Amino acid sequence: MTAAMFLKFASVSFQRQIAYRFDYFVAVLNGFLYVFIFTSVWRVVFTKAGGEHGGFTTESIVTYAVIAMVIRISFSMDDTALPGKVRDGSVAVDLIRPMPFHAMNLAEAMGYSAFHFIARGIPILAVSALLFPVRIPADHLPLALVSLALAYLILFMLNFAVGLLAFWYIEIFPFMLLKYGLLNLLSGGIVPMDFFPAAVRPFLAFLPFQHIFYTPASIIIGHANGALAIEMVAEQAAWVAVMGAVCALAWRAGQNKLVIQGG
Amino acid sequence: METLKIYLLLALTSVRARMEYKGTFFVFLFAIVFFYFAQLGVLIVVIARFKEIHGWTMGEMAFLYGLLTFSQGFTTLFFNALINFDQLLIKGEFDRALVRPLSPLGQVVFSRFEASTIAHFVIGAAALYYGAKLSGIVWTPQKALFLPLVIIGGVLIQGAVRMFVTAVAFWTLRNSSLVHTVVFSSKEFIVYPVSIYRWGVQFFLTFLFPVAFINFYPAQYFLQKSGENLFHPALQVLTPAVGLVLFALSLLAWKTGINHYQSAGS
Repeated sequence: MTAAMFLKFASVSFQRQIAYRFDYFVAVLNGFLYVFIFTSVWRVVFTKAGGEHGGFTTESIVTYAVIAMVIRISFSMDDTALPGKVRDGSVAVDLIRPMPFHAMNLAEAMGYSAFHFIARGIPILAVSALLFPVRIPADHLPLALVSLALAYLILFMLNFAVGLLAFWYIEIFPFMLLKYGLLNLLSGGIVPMDFFPAAVRPFLAFLPFQHIFYTPASIIIGHANGALAIEMVAEQAAWVAVMGAVCALAWRAGQNKLVIQGG
Repeated sequence: METLKIYLLLALTSVRARMEYKGTFFVFLFAIVFFYFAQLGVLIVVIARFKEIHGWTMGEMAFLYGLLTFSQGFTTLFFNALINFDQLLIKGEFDRALVRPLSPLGQVVFSRFEASTIAHFVIGAAALYYGAKLSGIVWTPQKALFLPLVIIGGVLIQGAVRMFVTAVAFWTLRNSSLVHTVVFSSKEFIVYPVSIYRWGVQFFLTFLFPVAFINFYPAQYFLQKSGENLFHPALQVLTPAVGLVLFALSLLAWKTGINHYQSAGS
């Protein structure tokens, strides 16, 4: 396994995305639509609340909505690829490749995400910055980048683990739906964790979801800073370790379960 | 009468096909209900925190959501097969519908039953019930009679939207991303009261892409919300009419599409 191989897999996955041009334009439109809806909602409720609430100002919550959406879009991954390979048996080919399976999957995910970051994330960020009062302080950047990398790994491993369920279940779409539901509600991609009822927040802290979008987005906009930000990044690192172990175990168990038909 | 029997038979067959793996069917149903509750959860967290969204309280927002989701239940029941219509064209399966002595549209519509229909009914009905209760709607005979008309109007509007975007496939063949954006993502707009948007968007959602009639305008009527009339108060009761006109236009678009259609030739 070399860096060159990793890059090759990533770039093939990147190029595959370019093929669907019409889909691409529609998807950019789609991203704008969500940014527009959520910024409208925040503007209305924050104006009513007097321009400030839960550590956010109207300006910072609008920035949060834009940044969280851009991260969501840039973290696009094809989470149907892995279960698809298990179902149709082509995972067998991947097993005999001279490259660890998880590294190959990560390379493909990163190529896919890189395309969506460049082709959708950046244009949406640029236009949003023109339309809305988006303010990003630069002094948190190094920590924000670390947080983004860890968040990406957490989401990748979540997708990987759920995808591996295909070894045990023929139809895993219900699991995907559960995953999407939890991500929509608990990851901070739409609503920052600060707005959840105080009684619920301690439970959310025991889940990895808030570290996917909430943690990096609030560090980027400076909502979380200083010791709190470092603590959040440390929690992210711990989740990467835990989920890495889960994925490794599940992958080993899955391989033992695997039966490839025919030949 | 005979035609209706055939359609029913087609529909029943698709229900049976869906129910073949009962375990999978119920797990699927559970997952869909969970997914929609999570979506609703986003709304609940925001309202619980801020008490209201642009003057719309928890109960009123629930009623707004209920109107949308309940009519969406009927829409998926009747028009769901249209979502993947481009696949029928690409694989040439639509040609089979064309040579049968039945309406091609009817055959497509009755050929696929979707489990999410039930989830929409359950969540939509619950949201309507609690929304009406929480916001203390005073039910008059007019309102009680108008409710089914609004639901029918909402179904016609959503059905028409699906017909329009799928008719595009007669020209472009593959158009699934367009269908998904127009049918699913645009729905996000009307989860919130249309009055929160800028004037241009309000105009767009009322006159050009009139989905605001599915829930926003009729909800104003039922909840007797005054003080935020957009454009004209008469719009509050126009949902059934808008539905009929739009649906007639979409049938016309389909007809034009079929006449233009040349098989993918596989």
